[in-house]
Amino acid sequence: MSVAVEGLNIAIGGTTIVADAALSIADGERVGLIGSSGSGKSMISKAMLGLLPLNATVSGSIMLDDMQVVGAAERELADLRGRYVGTVFQNPAASLNPVMTVGQQIGLPLKLHYDLTKDERVERVGAMLAKVGLAKEIAVKYPHELSGGQQQRVGIATALITSPRFIIADEPTTALDSMSQRQIVDLLTSLVDDAGASMLFITHDFSVLARATTRCYVLESGRIAESGATAEVLADPKTPESERLVSAARSLTLRSADGFQSAKGDSHER
Amino acid sequence: MSNNTQITVSHNDGGRLRYGFAGRAAIVLKTMWRRGEGKFTLIVLALWLVVALISLIWTPQSLWATDGYHVWAKPSASHWLGTDGTGADVFSWLMAGSRTNLLIVVLTVAFSALWGLLLVSAMVARASALASASVVVIDALISIPTVLLALILAVPLGASITVIVIACGFGYGLNLARVARPSALLAARSSYVESALANGASGWRILVSHIIPNIVPVLAVQLSLSAGTAVLAESGLTYLGIGVPSGMPSWGHSLATSVKLINVFPLTVLWPGLVVTVVVVALNIFGDVLRDAIDPVTNPALRQTAASAEKEDER
Repeated sequence: MSVAVEGLNIAIGGTTIVADAALSIADGERVGLIGSSGSGKSMISKAMLGLLPLNATVSGSIMLDDMQVVGAAERELADLRGRYVGTVFQNPAASLNPVMTVGQQIGLPLKLHYDLTKDERVERVGAMLAKVGLAKEIAVKYPHELSGGQQQRVGIATALITSPRFIIADEPTTALDSMSQRQIVDLLTSLVDDAGASMLFITHDFSVLARATTRCYVLESGRIAESGATAEVLADPKTPESERLVSAARSLTLRSADGFQSAKGDSHER
Repeated sequence: MSNNTQITVSHNDGGRLRYGFAGRAAIVLKTMWRRGEGKFTLIVLALWLVVALISLIWTPQSLWATDGYHVWAKPSASHWLGTDGTGADVFSWLMAGSRTNLLIVVLTVAFSALWGLLLVSAMVARASALASASVVVIDALISIPTVLLALILAVPLGASITVIVIACGFGYGLNLARVARPSALLAARSSYVESALANGASGWRILVSHIIPNIVPVLAVQLSLSAGTAVLAESGLTYLGIGVPSGMPSWGHSLATSVKLINVFPLTVLWPGLVVTVVVVALNIFGDVLRDAIDPVTNPALRQTAASAEKEDER
């Protein structure tokens, strides 16, 4: 699914959150949206689903293929959500319903959008669990019985079960440790590529972004400050905001890439 | 976990194993039974049900068999708990009364649950006008005493079960809404509701399958408290003459007819008092124990059974 956002303005209670944002994602492309906390990243993703808070005013255009999301009827939006657009959330522990089993959770989008028998649903949930690297038995477990990484795998399975054409990953790795982060990013990108879907990957962490996307937009207080190939932005940030984000990522990646060696070097210097 | 093998797995629902309502209820009851106070409350409530059923077809004496020569009699072989001021059998009246009280409790709980959940859903709905004004409105309505409301209702309706059910259900529903509101709001604004919305769930589905299941613990406690209070309210309102109409057996009726001579025949008033006390205590504990047993997070048996039933299913 191709995505085209043009002149997007979002204001909540008179405060401008996003101003004149424009971004485009080609069919099958993985694009990043990076910015520090409060820069309006999540609001853009919510606007794409038509799930902005009630007191938000929005203008501009968000085209998902040939559908205009801004101002669309609730029924059309409900059909879009979960069926053509899948969402992976930031905090897997909180975004899974504590009283629903993993199987119910993953099967929810299917239940909402497709007229399948229980057996068919179970079969698909089982297949999806295998795809995200979880055992079939996990389906009867409750979210609190899983580790953070497993929970996010469930989140990914939920987002992808209907084979959506567009995935919004809203900081899917922020709540995870660095080891799980890498696994989750790799899993997500490979599944998205296999499905041929396009993806908007939202994060504040360049090290994750470099792994997940080919092109990116840098968002600074609601405005797109810079855009380009992720590798180029990472190598040569042009705006102060991207520079800050890149340097933060660099210090983190150096530690984790060189591992023990660099940590040792650090202590020698001190 | 030998018990688990008895539970038959019927169907999968989107990967969920369904034991059917009966299977799940069996697990919950077993968990409740394992606790001392759980045993107490289950025995009392089961006894209540059984006695109410038996009273439909049999009581030791006819309710209307009065004996002018044996009024206020002490317990004996023919009158197990003695007789009241008309010489009628106290035990028979208490048995028959259990039926009325059961009906009142069931109706009151159902009414207050419906009314309370209606208020809760109005309060957490995103576009509801009640959402902002709700707390003030509910606090104002809660200040109306149940007895006052019952007195007003009794003017057109006369003394009847309807008066008790509406007066109590109204107040308890408000209470339920007030107590359940914070947890319902928490659920409504949670990430899992956001996730369900992002998957295309409608507002109605969000309420029924995401918000309400997550406030069940609060509902269980609050409704069982309401059930207990309804038993007490029945006694109180019947004593005032605006509850159960005269001639209809109920525990409140038995209390009201014997309490005037408590100084002379204390034993007669003891029995209905004892029944009411034991049942109210059991109902209050019931919610507490149920809350712990019904929640998969606090009850490992529900989860363990899910896992072992799955293995059973694969074989």
